Amino acid sequence: MDKYIRNIYKGVYTVLVGMRITIRQFFEPNVTHQYPYEHDFEKKQNVREIPKGYRGQLYNRIEDCIGCKKCELICPVDCITIIGDKLPKGEQLWDSMNVVHLKDGREVIGIIEGDDKKIMSEDAMTITNITTRLGPQEVIDRLEASGDENRTETLSTEEVSRVVTRNPVVFYLDQFDIDMSLCMYCGLCTEVCPTQCLVMKDSLEGIEYSSFDRTDLIFNFDKQEMYKKDDAENTEVVEA
Amino acid sequence: MSDFLSESFFHNFNIQENIQEETGNLVSYIKGNVINPIFPDFPMELGTVLAMLVCAGIFVAVVPLLPLVLVLAERKVAARFQNRTGPMRVGPWGTLQTLADGIKLIFKEDFIPQQGDKLLFRLAPYIMFACSFAVFAAIPFGQNILVSDFNIGIFYIMAISSVIVMGVIMAGWSSNSKWSLLGSLRSAAQIVSYEIPLGLSILTVIMLVESLGMREIVENQSGGIFTWLIFRTPFTFIAFFVFFISAIAEVNRTPFDLPEAESEIVAGFHTEYSGMRFALFFIAEYANMFAVSAIGVTLFLGGYEGILPGYDFLGGLPGFVLKTLGLVFVMMWLRWTLPRLRVDQLMNLCWKYFIPISFFNILGTGIWGLIFKDDDVWSMGISCAIIYVCLIGVYAVAGRNLARRPEPQTSSA
Repeated sequence: MDKYIRNIYKGVYTVLVGMRITIRQFFEPNVTHQYPYEHDFEKKQNVREIPKGYRGQLYNRIEDCIGCKKCELICPVDCITIIGDKLPKGEQLWDSMNVVHLKDGREVIGIIEGDDKKIMSEDAMTITNITTRLGPQEVIDRLEASGDENRTETLSTEEVSRVVTRNPVVFYLDQFDIDMSLCMYCGLCTEVCPTQCLVMKDSLEGIEYSSFDRTDLIFNFDKQEMYKKDDAENTEVVEA
Repeated sequence: MSDFLSESFFHNFNIQENIQEETGNLVSYIKGNVINPIFPDFPMELGTVLAMLVCAGIFVAVVPLLPLVLVLAERKVAARFQNRTGPMRVGPWGTLQTLADGIKLIFKEDFIPQQGDKLLFRLAPYIMFACSFAVFAAIPFGQNILVSDFNIGIFYIMAISSVIVMGVIMAGWSSNSKWSLLGSLRSAAQIVSYEIPLGLSILTVIMLVESLGMREIVENQSGGIFTWLIFRTPFTFIAFFVFFISAIAEVNRTPFDLPEAESEIVAGFHTEYSGMRFALFFIAEYANMFAVSAIGVTLFLGGYEGILPGYDFLGGLPGFVLKTLGLVFVMMWLRWTLPRLRVDQLMNLCWKYFIPISFFNILGTGIWGLIFKDDDVWSMGISCAIIYVCLIGVYAVAGRNLARRPEPQTSSA
């Protein structure tokens, strides 16, 4: 009889303990992302940091692209399509920017004053016309709207790990398409790029760009408005 | 036999008088306010029949909406217990998900097993469906919102809801599938067993009210929350829980969902069903769930009477529905808390625990009725005090047990 009553008590008690646990979960916030509709899940805490060098979506700084078509050639799946007109020999549109890699992981994109091929042998360098600074974990921030004082920076050579030299832009690029639905994210195109204008975004927006339509995954990087249209037809030199 | 069919037999149960003279229910309301003004030349009997048909029409239209709501509620509640959101795509917050599922089920192939008993296979869902609907005829949803106030209301409900097991057995047998058969046998054993503590718990209420009529049972509890039958005696307090758990077993819900245990026998008695016939089983199941909750509310939790005595907004319908949905929520809560019982545990619980406790309750209620001849403030006060003291005692013992957990046993040999 003692065991009988103890059994009843135990049954009731354990059921109540279980019910307390479940009702607590009932009032917890839910963890579901309404994924295709709810993109801003970097705000949620359970997204890990994206490491530097992550191979995300391809992005091309078309102003610096010299139209060499090395990426198109090396792409194993032919996802890059480039159509461009070459300028007459000896002519160029403008120079591409320098990309300065710092030892702390940052990148500065601008124009190094002086001869950029020999700058590493000197003590310090001055970078002007800075368009972009890339932090270790930052989304690309463009500085086009900010003032002049922000666009100049002096760095000692010890901070700098690598400098990408300027190259002359000798192509009118009519089309620069990358079909990300075909891309296999091997990263070969970014490695052969001589001006490092073709990069893979190691930020959240480079990971998450899903869409309901496959044609939305073909990204057009060509920018016709950066050429003067009349000059483009005459294939003449345009000032930078 | 002739005695059974004689006039006097019916006369004893007042059935004939009820059909003609009953007032204050939905049928008489419709007859007086809708049928008679529109068709004043109708003979009285025809008007009554027409009013009954209208009533049935209302219920056939409204009751299938309950599962529509309850299935969605079940999925949403289940999702909340698992920190999910549940269906979100169809309609705003997924509110039209059940409708979409229903439409999908209508368009599916109506499959009948070739080796099965085709007549029984077709008949089974309708029996289950019809029986679970017939229960609603006797449930008082509000002051005058009940189809018919039988003087044998709760007895009728018990009888009708027992026929459901016939549908289950027919479905299991006619499918000619071992899963179906096993599921239906389990279901039959379970329902037949749990009918006993269910009936015995209801008996405690009937002893206190001294009536089988549903409305009389409700009106007996009209004096606010402390006159509700659950608090009237300490024994009905226990009886309510016995009733509720037996009811969960009766409608085959977790932790008593052995007849439909997915991991053991696929889907139990409705394994072979598809399309609309499966939907009928589904609707019947959820209608049943609502029905047993409604019966529990009527018998123990004051029915359409409110927490305060003088409350009759819309005849008490909102309060009744709220209380019933509360019990349905507890059913869902238990479903996501407890694992499924084993067959022997199921039978143990019923025969070794619930039935003795039910008999103890009946005995106790009888003695209580002898001691307190009238239900006055004293009896209710003492009852509430006893319940309160017992709960405090259980809580204290539980706290002490929680404080000193048993040491993990080590073999000292």
